Amino acid sequence: MSLFTGPLIHSGKTNRMMMTLVLVSLTPALIAAVLHYGFTAALLVICALAGTWLTELVLDRQHAFDGSALVTGLLFALLLPVSAPWWLAFLGGVLATGLGKHAFGGLGCNLFNPAALSRVILMALIPGAWFVSTAVTMDGITTASPLARESSMLAPTLAELLSGSTPGTLGQAAPLAVLAGGLLLASLRTIDWRIPLTFLAAVAFLALLLPASERIAGHAPWLLGNPLIHIIGGGTLLAAFFMLTDPVTAPFAPVGRIIFAIIAALAMMLIRYYTPYPDGAVLAILIANACVPLIDRFTLELGAAPRIKTPQSF
Amino acid sequence: MSSPNWVFSSVREALYGRQVPRLKTTRDSAIVSIPSPGQVRLISSGLTPLVKVGETVEGGKLIARSPVSERFQRRVHASLTGIITAIHDDYILIEGELPERPPLTHGVPEWIAPEAIRDTAREAGLIGMGGGMFPTYVKLSHPAPIEVVLINGCESEPYLTCDHRVLTEHRDQANCGTELAMRAVGAKQGMVVDREINYPGGYERLLIRDTLGKVVPKRGLPRDAGVLVMNVQSALALHEAVCLGRPLIDRVVTVDGDAVGRPGNYRVPIGTELSTLQEVCEIDPAKTATLLTGGPMMGTAAEASDTVTGGTGAVIALTKEELSEHEAQPCIRCGQCMEVCPYDLPVAHLVANPHKVVLDCIECGACQFTCPARIPLIDELRKAKKVVTAWD
Repeated sequence: MSLFTGPLIHSGKTNRMMMTLVLVSLTPALIAAVLHYGFTAALLVICALAGTWLTELVLDRQHAFDGSALVTGLLFALLLPVSAPWWLAFLGGVLATGLGKHAFGGLGCNLFNPAALSRVILMALIPGAWFVSTAVTMDGITTASPLARESSMLAPTLAELLSGSTPGTLGQAAPLAVLAGGLLLASLRTIDWRIPLTFLAAVAFLALLLPASERIAGHAPWLLGNPLIHIIGGGTLLAAFFMLTDPVTAPFAPVGRIIFAIIAALAMMLIRYYTPYPDGAVLAILIANACVPLIDRFTLELGAAPRIKTPQSF
Repeated sequence: MSSPNWVFSSVREALYGRQVPRLKTTRDSAIVSIPSPGQVRLISSGLTPLVKVGETVEGGKLIARSPVSERFQRRVHASLTGIITAIHDDYILIEGELPERPPLTHGVPEWIAPEAIRDTAREAGLIGMGGGMFPTYVKLSHPAPIEVVLINGCESEPYLTCDHRVLTEHRDQANCGTELAMRAVGAKQGMVVDREINYPGGYERLLIRDTLGKVVPKRGLPRDAGVLVMNVQSALALHEAVCLGRPLIDRVVTVDGDAVGRPGNYRVPIGTELSTLQEVCEIDPAKTATLLTGGPMMGTAAEASDTVTGGTGAVIALTKEELSEHEAQPCIRCGQCMEVCPYDLPVAHLVANPHKVVLDCIECGACQFTCPARIPLIDELRKAKKVVTAWD
């Protein structure tokens, strides 16, 4: 009798299939962005995809066709303002795959979401390329987000946010398209529904709960106590459904994923309320990502297991 | 799986959740006896032959037995009526015809004593027919107090429906076997569990946990929780041995898989070569990528020259499309292994960071089935177990 080595049949799933489902779910948001912003948006997407995929091809030819580079590239493109130059999209793609993924050891090894990491680094290094308008505020940093419209004191209405008529990133052209794609992914169980649900619920709860800071009350009072603005505005939906749910950078256990989503929501809302940084979704993702090993250690209830035990002496 | 492509797989998961599919296509196929295979090869390694070449034997005659010194006694009976044509070190060949099956009866004899049931089980060569093949009489003889006899009719393995058919067609006889087992061990309660359950729920430990709420100790056996678990066909065989005087010479086998032309449930004499089933059930060798005995999750790859034993619940012929490929990709920590694990073990995490909870793993393979990265997780889990065991 031969030794049993596991099941002989398989569900038929592959990593590539998971990535394909994510790409398919991102398509509505992509189409909406191209329809809304036209050729410029398409160019940015192509440059970002070229950046991630060519880097992948150079650094890890074997896995270049599993679709993960395309997911990263598309996500990075959706985080770009339409006014961004094409080389920023390409550079961001290269950085996301090269530094965000392969520097950590390749697919499955990265601690941070590659697209988010790339965006935060580039925003710190080349802030000028990200400005929506030429107006530089006193804060020195303005992001590609309608939530940044604080100097005007005018609240973007819900209708404005939903139609994408406020200045924003490609991903904010049509929040409903992002939501539709996200719901598709969740219903296919490709992503864990707990993460977007907990994250959005926590964002809404914090929007109602957090006390106003002077900064917000003085500059953008409409940001206060309005959960819908916080959910639909900024990168919240994209983060909830497509970035926090990246399994590589999320905790392993269901409980851990809930804690993780709460940490991300808390970080994002604290940034939006109490720092000069208006969106914070991307930074919040990185902060939550950084907590994952710790969350895993506690939620998997494995304690601190000895990984290496010295052999018994003779 | 008739079409295991990923679209099908993801739609199924969206609708039914993440689980191993049931694939019970032969659920309504009544048990059919196969025509005489002409020749059977009865495994007799380690046993003393009691017959000579050229001797004529009746079906059911004892032809080999364990030496008396052996701890676990085994018996082999002629499964055909005919002539012994060869005796080798590890098998005996018989050529002949199917013996007649006695008419079915049921009802437990009033007078029978526990010792008599155990002796009959030993002499009839009864074994665990769910695949374990552990001698039934040893199970029935253990001094530990047994409260519940659980008859496992769940067969959560994909494809398998033979126990379901036995319960559908021979319920009274199976009940009788249950009562005999209860009498043999002095149990007050007996249960035949035949609810539809997804893999790996029919696994002994899980069945006890989910049916009775009892926990079997990690390195213990069901009897440590006061439970005796028997397969449906083992119970039926116990009935036949005690009430009809018929030893274990045949069993019901599910034959299925995409390469099978006539899938169904067949009553097959023990010792029948799989090549006979290939003819009878029209298994296409050209389409068959892997022939296996047992279910596709826990079963083992087999050759056409292998034989049906008491523990062979199914013969499955898988096509290339149904087979699992083993080109492992990097783990993307999707957590699906933990989702399908009956013990909620963080499998992918455990294989990278061995921890003593890995010893809970029953190696059911549900994680490996579902893993999108197609990592051979059972192998990895075994390695992790070795590492952890070395710590103690």
